[in-house]
Amino acid sequence: MSQADSMSRAEALPVLSGAVTSGRRPQTAAGFLALFRNELHLTFRRMRTLVLLGILAALPILIGVIIKVNTDSPRGGGGGAPSFIAQTTQNGLFLVFTALAVALPVFLPMTVGVVAGDSVAGEAATGTLRYLLVAPAGRTRLLAAKFTAGLAFCLAATAAVAVTALATGAALFPLGKVTLLSGDTIGLGEALPRALLVAAMVALSLAGLVAIGLFVSTLTGSGIAAMATTVVLVITVQILDSFPQLDAIRPFLFTHYWLSFADLLRAPMYWDGMLKNLGLQAAYIAVFGSAAWARFSSRDISA
Amino acid sequence: MTNDTAAGENVDGGVPYRSRRRTLMRAGVPLAVAAVIATGVGLVPALAADSPPDLPSLTAEQVVAKVLGSDAQALSGTVSVSTDLGVPTQLLGAAAGGLGAAAGRGGGQDQGSSADPQTKLLGLLGGDQTLRVAVDGPDHQRVDLLENMAGYTLVHNGDQSWAWDSSTNQAVHETGQAARHTGAEHPKAPLTGVPTTPQEAAKQFLTESAGTTSVTVAGTAKVAGQNAYQLSVKPTQSGSTIQEVRIAVAADNGVPLSVEVLGTDGSTVLDVHFTDVSFAKPAAKTFDFTVPKGAKVTEHKADEARGQDGKKEAARTAGDVNVIGEGWTSVVTGHLPSGPVGAPEDGAKNGKHHGNGGFQNPQALVKSLGKPVNGGTLISTKVLNVLITDDGRVFAGAVTPSVLQSAAGVK
Repeated sequence: MSQADSMSRAEALPVLSGAVTSGRRPQTAAGFLALFRNELHLTFRRMRTLVLLGILAALPILIGVIIKVNTDSPRGGGGGAPSFIAQTTQNGLFLVFTALAVALPVFLPMTVGVVAGDSVAGEAATGTLRYLLVAPAGRTRLLAAKFTAGLAFCLAATAAVAVTALATGAALFPLGKVTLLSGDTIGLGEALPRALLVAAMVALSLAGLVAIGLFVSTLTGSGIAAMATTVVLVITVQILDSFPQLDAIRPFLFTHYWLSFADLLRAPMYWDGMLKNLGLQAAYIAVFGSAAWARFSSRDISA
Repeated sequence: MTNDTAAGENVDGGVPYRSRRRTLMRAGVPLAVAAVIATGVGLVPALAADSPPDLPSLTAEQVVAKVLGSDAQALSGTVSVSTDLGVPTQLLGAAAGGLGAAAGRGGGQDQGSSADPQTKLLGLLGGDQTLRVAVDGPDHQRVDLLENMAGYTLVHNGDQSWAWDSSTNQAVHETGQAARHTGAEHPKAPLTGVPTTPQEAAKQFLTESAGTTSVTVAGTAKVAGQNAYQLSVKPTQSGSTIQEVRIAVAADNGVPLSVEVLGTDGSTVLDVHFTDVSFAKPAAKTFDFTVPKGAKVTEHKADEARGQDGKKEAARTAGDVNVIGEGWTSVVTGHLPSGPVGAPEDGAKNGKHHGNGGFQNPQALVKSLGKPVNGGTLISTKVLNVLITDDGRVFAGAVTPSVLQSAAGVK
């Protein structure tokens, strides 16, 4: 109790001593930016995050080498993206799409689940959360900063996969004209922006998961529990998504439109699935973001 | 312990701390957000579906004439196809494999190409598909099947026809008279007789079922942003498993925009409709197709007379095929291909032992999927019933099993 008292004093002090006496300090963009920068440092300077990114970066190299070695067989076997593998041997750029399609169902959400799930719960577990709350930033802003940092990790993780895939593809396979899924052939200059768009779409696909992970993270004081719950949730939802009998709910599962990014590789692009995907992610962010806020802003921080 | 939260939010301390109430209120926020989104998702389609447009009333004959006399030469759009035949997907896969193998032997090819339109479009019979269609007169058509992370393209441009499968990078190329011939007869489906657009399907229905059918106009509707008349087509014969076919016809130019087939239990069996459509001339480069680098191309020559007609095509691949009866209760008969490995006739009986690997003896497969009835094995789906007699004859149709049995001559 004495701890909590001292904390409340500490939190109240800067405000009371400031010019504004009735309420907390005005929320400035600079203040949020400082908080966000702090979160970014926290996320990306961790050894764990770097290892996760390293694993993601190794994945395209692995896939590229496997395809190179087994280049005789026209079909690359089962899995999420056998259809791209045929093109990969023709054009190294397709390794980007193949790697993203392979990483999106399991590897990317797993790493995002680790980072997002640990964001609040991990701080609570190590006892640093209360010191964060001592800063006169307010819990809502802290949560927003953590969410934004999670999105930044999504981008970084996707970029790690895409960039190493591009490098591996360029090293192992010829680059050049790209054959789209609709049979049209475009030049490399036109194809690279599409690859960038694909990577952006993959990163945005994970945004809903960041919100879910953040919400789970506010529920518990154990980082491991939050991470495990988030990852299990991703896997469960994908299993549910594979049952044709659940057709009624499948379009509302956040993983349902994940692979729609392939529609960017048609000429003309087919936006239907991707717009649905973005709408779905926005809905998940709204629901789970507000749930995380509701929980976090009214919760006792005891650790 | 609750004090720290209070301090964070009510610094001025004037208001007493009410944790429970505030917690409840805040918990209401995500629920409210979820409720708003759910209502939005539920309401938007309802609001988007406008009230039926006000159109001058036409008789059924006038609407049919509008369809048959439609002079719309060019269109492009997106077609959504959803099929619920109640056919097991394994059966579709096996049928595709069997047909491919049969085509391989019959047509003298070395092996079936995965880009073969016949085998590919069987996939349309199961589940939901999205197609992109572009048509410019009888000589230029293109159909893009938007598959999950893959694509399948059919292009017909003058005397050139291409079919290309992105997942295997295989193509089928057809040149010469046959291609043009196919195009003239089935403008919307190069290389095959399978209807892939609403026009095609509606025209087939309207021309082939005259005399055994009642056609009425069932109000108006809006399809893909176009005002349309709803035609209701019902069989007058008994014994059909189809209750009604609804066709929406564009009021402006008579292009059919949607076809919906209802089974006798009232469920939708087939729903083909444009989700967006434009009657402007598509860009000429839409119909240019250069074979992608590294693609394995199977050439077909014109004298092979491929794809004159869907049924004849099926006849060539699946053996001799006859049609018994007419209209809605017509029954298609033929013989089962005896197996991809060229199994002898008695292979059917112990076919299960032959069925190793990916290829299965089709006869053994139907026996394992169907249920035994008087005279053979019956595979029953929502609409289509197939009777395979013990001596390998096949009777299929959108009819009740008893019609099939009388066609097969068994009681």
